[in-house]
Amino acid sequence: MASLTIKNAVKRYGNVEVLKGVSIDLRDGEFLVLLGASGCGKSTLLNMIAGLEDLTEGEIMIGDRVVNDVHPKDRDIAMVFQSYALYPTMTVGQNIAFGLEMRGVPKAERALRVEQVAKTLRMDHLLDRKPAQLSGGQRQRVAMGRALVRDPEVFLFDEPLSNLDAKLRLEMRTEIKRLHKRLNATMVYVTHDQIEALTLADRIAILKDGEVQQLASPAEIYEHPANMFVAGLVGSPPMNFLDITVEAGEAGPAAWVTLRADGADKPVLLDLSAHTARLDGYVGRKVVMGLRPEMISQGTTDAGQCVQCEIDVTEATGADTLCVLNWNNQEVLARGTSGYTKILEGTMDFTIETERACLFDPESGLRLD
Amino acid sequence: MSDAARYSAPRPWSALILRVLLWFVLIVFAIWFLLPAYVVVGTSLKDLDEIRGGSLLALPHELNFSAWRHAWSEACIGVECTGLKPYFWNSVSMALPGVVVSTLLGALTGYALTKWKFKGANLVFALILFGCFVPFQVVILPMAQTLGKIGITNTVYGLILVHSVYGLAFTTLFFRNYYVTIPDELVRAATIDGAGFFTIFHRIILPLSPPIIVVSVIWQFTQIWNDFLFGASFTTGGAQPITVAMNNLVNTTTGVKQYNVDMAAALITAAPTLLVYIFAGRYFVRGLTAGSVKG
Repeated sequence: MASLTIKNAVKRYGNVEVLKGVSIDLRDGEFLVLLGASGCGKSTLLNMIAGLEDLTEGEIMIGDRVVNDVHPKDRDIAMVFQSYALYPTMTVGQNIAFGLEMRGVPKAERALRVEQVAKTLRMDHLLDRKPAQLSGGQRQRVAMGRALVRDPEVFLFDEPLSNLDAKLRLEMRTEIKRLHKRLNATMVYVTHDQIEALTLADRIAILKDGEVQQLASPAEIYEHPANMFVAGLVGSPPMNFLDITVEAGEAGPAAWVTLRADGADKPVLLDLSAHTARLDGYVGRKVVMGLRPEMISQGTTDAGQCVQCEIDVTEATGADTLCVLNWNNQEVLARGTSGYTKILEGTMDFTIETERACLFDPESGLRLD
Repeated sequence: MSDAARYSAPRPWSALILRVLLWFVLIVFAIWFLLPAYVVVGTSLKDLDEIRGGSLLALPHELNFSAWRHAWSEACIGVECTGLKPYFWNSVSMALPGVVVSTLLGALTGYALTKWKFKGANLVFALILFGCFVPFQVVILPMAQTLGKIGITNTVYGLILVHSVYGLAFTTLFFRNYYVTIPDELVRAATIDGAGFFTIFHRIILPLSPPIIVVSVIWQFTQIWNDFLFGASFTTGGAQPITVAMNNLVNTTTGVKQYNVDMAAALITAAPTLLVYIFAGRYFVRGLTAGSVKG
């Protein structure tokens, strides 16, 4: 186990800057997820940690050792690849043992450790098979076994679940989480799946265009996204963004919002007094209000402001029923009821928790703090 | 018309006529191509009297292998009456190392060009590829000088070197195109596992290569065995490969032209490549179209 420090990592290919000075500090045993769309530089960063690519500038430290010029095999890392990268001509057992063999571990000890790992991952009956004879999930397991057997300081995962079907992905996700809990090892995990990021990570680093947008715990990222990009990326269904103009209300700042499709109804004045300090100096200016679907819930509660909205379409997912509302020709997702307990149609009461809303500056996209 | 109706309906006459025509054309062409082969084999099994007396197309009276024996161990090539035997072994001892060396080197270059990409790797590949299109005649003079400098003119080793160098362009092309289909992640995984350039090559890449190795071996063996120009240019007398010796055998005539011996010599010369095709031909096609990693 070891900490991992990335200091101002820059990667340039010719004139193209893929990473623009990324700094991340990982404590021993922490699970970091690098989240971002394809081309954001997350895989490049992972490859740099692994030593498969050189840094243009900056420094990477594993423990208190600078590893910039250390060969991948001497960094004491293990990596699980998206395609699993199992050696096709070797059996599962040989695949798992290969890393140990290259490090000159005696044969008897190799066999013992392979057996232990195979037991842990419940695949001891597969050791004599070739990768081509395995299912996707089993291959994934072998890839994990190959990393586990080495007992490295840092585990690196490059989108390890993206080739699996939905059910298996869920299973393996839990497995990885369990593994981290048991080994308590430092792990870096690259994904474009925000649910994976939220469920697995101790901390998430969100990357866009080679820059870290936010580095924080999943709760922090979900509740207090640093900017509109992060807010839109994380959360499913995604956050609703409304352009509003801040007015000076009686109790503090407020904003007029039209809750009907045609705009014919009289707009409703949303109370934003909980954000008084935040909106200081914004009265009369435009801001973007971010409301997660669960902040607009069907029914009247005293958690927020109660309004009447017309339901356009409902989408029942089983556990939850989502309502698509149409506010002044903008689709807004709201959470209806849980389960199928109630028929949702027509105009109904909704409670908007304006207190939990996120407010962003429309120009910079940054969250107002 | 539905499929069921089409298949169950009786064939109309026109279809039958077309079918007969098709078979007729195919059979005519088959005869056209097989006739020379038949004449060569047939003549090699006749004795001279029979050749003179009978028709070219007549079947031999008996299976008479004396012409084969003569061509193999008695016929005169120039002033040496040793038959093709020593030259056959010359060709074997030239072709086998030539095939092995050029295939191994081609695999190694192909591997380096795809899995350890360096700056200008594609340019290097393009230049190597260019070697495929350089005609043999162009390199004869510089090659003769080179062989002279190294001191292996007129030896089998000289020919091995020439064929290895010349074959490298083709074998590199084969292996490079095959290795492009092997995922780079395999090499990355092995690198992290602690394997180096050569370990990855022989533990991971080579075990994946049999289909393309077969292609390279067949191709190179055929090229080297059938080569006449390099053999004729760089060797004389006892060091000549069988193709050159056969030519000399046919040209060395004292008195009567021994057609049966000439034919037998031609068949002996062609036999190894024919056999390679008969036994490994299907792997050749398979290897050319095979991908490397399943699943």
